[in-house]
Amino acid sequence: MAHKHTYSAASRFWIYPVMIVFVLLAMLPFLYMVSLSLQSDAEMFSGQVVVIPEELQFTNYVTIWEKAPFARFILNSFIVAGTIAFLHVLFDPLIGYVFAKMEFPGKRFMFVALLSTLMIPFFVRLIPLYIMTAKFGLLNTYTGLILPFAMSAFGIFLMRQFILPIPDDLIAAARLDGASEPRIFFDIVLPQIGPAIATVALLTFVFQFNEFIWPLVVVSSENMRPITTGLTLFNQEFFTQWNLTAVGGMLLFLPCFLLYLVAQRHFVQSAMLSGMK
Amino acid sequence: MTYRQRRALTAYAFLSPAIVYFLIFFFWPIAIEFWASFRTGQPLIGESTYAGFTNYIAIVTDKLAIKAVSATMIYAIGSTVFTLVIALGLASILAGPLKARNTIRAILFFPYIVSFVISALMWKSILDPYTGLLNAALLKLGLPPQYWLTDPDAAIWVLVAVSVWKDIGYAVLIYIAAIQGIPSHLYQAAELDGARRFQLFRDITLPLLMPTTLFLAVVIMIASMQEMALPYLMTGGGPANATRLYSLHVYETAFQGLNIGYASALSFAMFLLILLITWVQFKLLNRDIRHV
Repeated sequence: MAHKHTYSAASRFWIYPVMIVFVLLAMLPFLYMVSLSLQSDAEMFSGQVVVIPEELQFTNYVTIWEKAPFARFILNSFIVAGTIAFLHVLFDPLIGYVFAKMEFPGKRFMFVALLSTLMIPFFVRLIPLYIMTAKFGLLNTYTGLILPFAMSAFGIFLMRQFILPIPDDLIAAARLDGASEPRIFFDIVLPQIGPAIATVALLTFVFQFNEFIWPLVVVSSENMRPITTGLTLFNQEFFTQWNLTAVGGMLLFLPCFLLYLVAQRHFVQSAMLSGMK
Repeated sequence: MTYRQRRALTAYAFLSPAIVYFLIFFFWPIAIEFWASFRTGQPLIGESTYAGFTNYIAIVTDKLAIKAVSATMIYAIGSTVFTLVIALGLASILAGPLKARNTIRAILFFPYIVSFVISALMWKSILDPYTGLLNAALLKLGLPPQYWLTDPDAAIWVLVAVSVWKDIGYAVLIYIAAIQGIPSHLYQAAELDGARRFQLFRDITLPLLMPTTLFLAVVIMIASMQEMALPYLMTGGGPANATRLYSLHVYETAFQGLNIGYASALSFAMFLLILLITWVQFKLLNRDIRHV
């Protein structure tokens, strides 16, 4: 609670054990994945509780590449998630700026229309988007994977919120000096919202790296699968080989885990921001 | 052209890619899905004819759809209630003076960030009846092995548990921020009056957190109502359709049954329900904010 006392010794006696249980539970699947990925088939099938494998089977990390094109899966994920994040960096700040600092007829209507897209669940768009993608001949292509996520109201809204506090006087003065709107955007606005852009890029990348439903629907050729569906279909094929699925899981896990370690603050802050809308 | 007009033109020029994009990829899909939901045959992909509300009426007589609705209600309500109760408990501890609380918060939040594919597959592996960690541990304790994912009564609750496990960190984060925003003089005044810790929680923290609770309830509820990846990955909708959540039903109707008109009606009906919930939340939140 938000007052200053420290917890009494009696409270600490139960608070810490409870916290340890929840922390362990939160980490359990990931710790289990690490252990499982290093177990031999025999150890995995033994039906015993294995915490640290007796002999660390690093060979699992070698054989996995032969069982399915995992290198290709990861490459696909990076290309798709990277491009989408790049598109957001390109468009979100500019459009956020227009809504934050420019006046034009229809502004309110367009902003409300933009925000209303946040209420459209993806599965409502799923069927028509699939049919559109098929009609454009974009099934099994990077373009097809990227297009439905190239822009989102969330990134634009976030940018607008960060640009709003920039003093209007600063921008008005630049306009009086004859600076063009693109110039104002690049020289005055952009330098002030660097961290916010990093947040949008990071969140978009991780979110898209984890995207599952759309590639499941739109990709049928194995070589175009991102790691999420690649791993899922691998697991369906080798459904008893949990140790190999765990290795594949590590490949999907590590990029996001490393980003979280480095930039945890960005994730936490943007989540809190969503709570204050 | 006046200066004002030039500025407006610049604004439209900046906005034009976004206007085109959102029209094509958000509003157009909804429009054609709405259209398809009133047609039979092969709307959007072939010949079709107008069918009035036939597709919407068919939902009520579709046994699988009814099953999906009830499974989704258990899943959505169960996930929301358990997540909020546990998260509120954890947050009221973590908002206090606890060592390592930022680390704990970061660890609890991590499952929310990580790919659901990993979480679902690893929980499935842990629950695997023959090679999984859980049954190995039960065996070691001399308890009988369990077959949760193949027991129709239990499987849906396993999904609820995994969903709670994933969302708790997010709810904790939002609750901590809200608790820390409660003015501390309220607590001090109550303490002077001799209130005990539990009374402080019941009479100050809980009521002041109402808007936050409502916000979280709606966010988690709406997300759960759309969940498809979790049953797809852990149970495939089984056993005996016990975990066939609504989105999975829509997905299979559209992409395996190729019944586009009916699938469109199914997904549009859910869309309307979600809009209704959002609208109710808006009304309630506004009222709450005025009264607190």
